[in-house]
Amino acid sequence: MSATATTTRRPLTDRLLDPLPILLFLAIWELAPRLGGLLRIFISPPSEVVSVLAKMIWNHELFPHLGISLTRAFSGLIAAFLVGVPLGFLLGGPFRSFQRVVRPVLSFLGNVNPFALFPLFVVLFGIGEVSKGVMVFWVCIWPVLFHVTAGVEGIDPLLIKVSRTLGCRPLRLFRQVIVPAASPSIFHGVKMAAGSALFMLVAAEMIGASRGLGWLVWNAQLNFFIPKLFAATVTISLLGLALNALLGWVERRFFHWQQA
Amino acid sequence: MHTEGISTVSELDVEGVDSSIFGLDLRVPQNQGHFEVELPASRPAPAPSARRKTWGAWRLRLERISGVALLLVAWELAPRLGWVDRQFFVPPTGILRELLKTAISGEIFIHVGVSLGRTLAGLVGAILIGIPVGFLLAGWFPKAARFFQPLLKLFGQVNAFSLFPLFVLFFGIGEIAKFSIIFWSCVWPLLFGTIVAIRGVDPLIVKTARSMACSNSIFFRDVLWPAALPAILTAVRIGAMTSFLMLIAAEMVGADNGLGWLVHNGTINYQMARVYLAASTTAALGLGMQAILNALERRLVHWRPAPTSI
Repeated sequence: MSATATTTRRPLTDRLLDPLPILLFLAIWELAPRLGGLLRIFISPPSEVVSVLAKMIWNHELFPHLGISLTRAFSGLIAAFLVGVPLGFLLGGPFRSFQRVVRPVLSFLGNVNPFALFPLFVVLFGIGEVSKGVMVFWVCIWPVLFHVTAGVEGIDPLLIKVSRTLGCRPLRLFRQVIVPAASPSIFHGVKMAAGSALFMLVAAEMIGASRGLGWLVWNAQLNFFIPKLFAATVTISLLGLALNALLGWVERRFFHWQQA
Repeated sequence: MHTEGISTVSELDVEGVDSSIFGLDLRVPQNQGHFEVELPASRPAPAPSARRKTWGAWRLRLERISGVALLLVAWELAPRLGWVDRQFFVPPTGILRELLKTAISGEIFIHVGVSLGRTLAGLVGAILIGIPVGFLLAGWFPKAARFFQPLLKLFGQVNAFSLFPLFVLFFGIGEIAKFSIIFWSCVWPLLFGTIVAIRGVDPLIVKTARSMACSNSIFFRDVLWPAALPAILTAVRIGAMTSFLMLIAAEMVGADNGLGWLVHNGTINYQMARVYLAASTTAALGLGMQAILNALERRLVHWRPAPTSI
């Protein structure tokens, strides 16, 4: 709980040091290709990457790709949330026989390597938006499902017994005890799912797409346009960092009462 | 000072866990808190007879199998009855036939062996680098760890797929490229996991050992290592999952053997049975790996209840 408070209270000198290693890294990255001969072919210095990025933004080339990638990621993630959360409550809930029947199946399916399924999705759903959505959905559903199940199962039984003793009806028990108690775990699952959504989407777009950030990387490689390759890589990494920061902020803001 | 350490731990923890792909992490609660509909008192109090006990055990077993059996039957019948296109949905018997065919020719063993070898090489490489570096950074040079943390986070965030073309440019499409892709994606969870594990060691233990004038080697061997081991094993688990995930991708893009190649080859030759076979094999291998890791965890950290794996 006091975690956020102490981070803001860190000494100023300490906080000023934070970007230093990144700056150092940027300096090395900038100088190494300029000084070395052969490396220049493979590695573009950051200044070049930034100029390419600026040009791509100016040409309206970057944002459409970014937009389409984000749309795909979010639609898959939302679908996974809508399916995974209710199913997770069922799996974590009191239906013991149902769990014993369903769990082995889910555990097998969850262990299938998603890359091995990508070609199947393409065959079944075409190469359009649907197959990409299904891929992201498939990747996202497992962390959501497992974390919701674990969250519901991990609720202190005392809480439930006390509420029952106090005469709490099932619906109210669910709404006011089970959901709040499981919510940090649910959010954690969603956070992990969001990370893998972006990760796998880039892979999916590299395997077969005509738009999106992954395609941008792929296309740059095919045409041996290294600065663009770096620009796309940097964009994807920054996107990942931003997503992490956002979700971390939400978690601290809304679930600070729960010790992880 | 202490709370500050904790705050960075939670940050790093988030980071380390996020680099994982599957929903496996330390924070999966121990599976003790089943809430039950009926209170214990409402159950038949006298101990069940031996006969009822065996019936109960059989019923449990039956329930466990029934889901998988139902799925298999439905999957077998649906293409045969023409509910779904047989070209796209290969029934389990078709997959079994393909398995037999490739097993007789010995092809499947080569692919599985090659894939396992690549996974292990990448994983072992990442373990050999990630865990010692994590120990050094968190245990001996905490200032350096704090200094480099933003940079390491940045690196950990770099998607291995977007580095894929770069690795291929640097190392060609040979074994080194595949190794480096797997290595890159495994080393970050392992490194962050180790750092988190060491920072998560109860400071009381450390201080007690220190105040008893514990020598460095004993401190490491008898205090720090056992205390950090459970969390490190979790990091290894995440690393193993990641390495397996990346392997198939790496093999799909550039390889001439291995399970990923089998998927790729099956797709371009339109032999769906091969794709299904490869996909089921990855699932079986994944489950096997989890079982091995669970056994390892039970053996090494027997004092802690094993994490639940669903």
